[in-house]
Amino acid sequence: MGKPLNYSYYPGCSLHASASEYDLSTRELFNVLGIGLTEVPDWFCCGATPAHNVDELLSLALCAKNLELADKVEGDMAVACASCFSRLKTAQHVLGVSDVKRTQVEKAIDAPVKLDSNVKHLLEILAKDLGLERLAAAVNKPLSGLKVACYYGCLLTRPSDVPNLDCAEAPTIMEKVIEAVGAETVAWTHRLECCGANFTLSRPGVVIQLTNAVLESAKAAGADCIMVGCPLCHGNLDIRQKEIEGVYNTSYGLPVFYLTQLIGISVGLGADKLGLDAMMVNPMPLLKEKGLL
Amino acid sequence: MIKKKMIISQETMDVDFVRKVEALAGTSVRRCFQCGKCSAGCPMATFMEHPPNRIMRLLQLGQWQRVLAGRSIWYCVSCETCTTRCPNTVDLASIMDALRKLSWDSDGASKESYVQLANKLFLQNIRTYGRQYEMRLAAVFNVKSGQFLKDLMLGPKLIAKGKLKMFHSKNKNISEIEKIFTRIEEMRKKGDAL
Repeated sequence: MGKPLNYSYYPGCSLHASASEYDLSTRELFNVLGIGLTEVPDWFCCGATPAHNVDELLSLALCAKNLELADKVEGDMAVACASCFSRLKTAQHVLGVSDVKRTQVEKAIDAPVKLDSNVKHLLEILAKDLGLERLAAAVNKPLSGLKVACYYGCLLTRPSDVPNLDCAEAPTIMEKVIEAVGAETVAWTHRLECCGANFTLSRPGVVIQLTNAVLESAKAAGADCIMVGCPLCHGNLDIRQKEIEGVYNTSYGLPVFYLTQLIGISVGLGADKLGLDAMMVNPMPLLKEKGLL
Repeated sequence: MIKKKMIISQETMDVDFVRKVEALAGTSVRRCFQCGKCSAGCPMATFMEHPPNRIMRLLQLGQWQRVLAGRSIWYCVSCETCTTRCPNTVDLASIMDALRKLSWDSDGASKESYVQLANKLFLQNIRTYGRQYEMRLAAVFNVKSGQFLKDLMLGPKLIAKGKLKMFHSKNKNISEIEKIFTRIEEMRKKGDAL
């Protein structure tokens, strides 16, 4: 065993509501893996897409405030949501290169900005800090025979010089992590295409069109299920899947798992500890068929 | 959308606006050489009357009114594909942010009302509660946009799955968020920030 891993945990707004199963499965999985998570006290919303869309200064200030709050907790910052992850990394990047913006943000939050803290997505913690070998060693129920379509969406890897999680155009980190716990992965065309994200509220028609293309591609590649690391992708692929099937008069029936749920199954966590009942597309028939639950 | 013929002259080119966009976005409009990779990869290009590379060309020609008069900038979903693929490292996604901000501030004609409404409610929630509350966001959005029946069948299912919380609390340190909003407003009033 290496040194103990401890992180300040920034769940983000979705994980306290529509993605509560992502929060639950993250806490349970990290507990089993012996990775400490301490929630950032009184964290604020990162501003997400709406803030940077119309007010970059506000977006940067909200992220800088959260970085300051996270600094009070020991360890690097662990972020579950791809959008929060992207915003926090973007803020560090922009504030690092622009003196003008840094001065404005420092005035806005009335404190110096913290640029040296490491902001990490859960994938990075599992693949790099814990390491694939230690992750594989924790597996007691390998996901053998399960064909997983790893869906990165937009913000885990783009733009190339900001998140630094993996290559922006041909990432492999999700595949590596889920193969380490015994699953098979499929090669498919839409793993980096956009699902429509927050247009789910204002322009659902757009989301239905874009998300359908993603589901269609995963199905055509022979996937049993899709794995995501973003609550917005999950919302569109899972919650809207039935509606999309109706619009396009087709049937996908693809369960959409958070990465922590799938890995959680492989380390022996039960359905109740992974929030599997919160999924709109019922994963139980698939998991029973594969002998995983 | 303005259909009349575009005349390029000293009178019709507004370069000051473009400089403001460049300052806000921290990137160069002039570096674009129209390869079209941004539009080729843009998932929303089919919904836009001006795809991303044309927006860049219009900005280079100082024709920003044409950009803001259209709905294109409000159909950008911030997926960052354009920025990732630009061979000249133009941060096009940030240019879209800057254009939306300038349109938002000037209360321009290009307001795509649903997207604007969603953004406005989202920011109001942050200011009031410190965090986002999806139930409230969706409910208020439906009422204010007059789409009372939108996703009506989805709501009860989401509540049953525990995905929408009926109640929410304010952050304990909520006064700090109000201070951030106020300080930014004051800086803008004094002209210390765009």
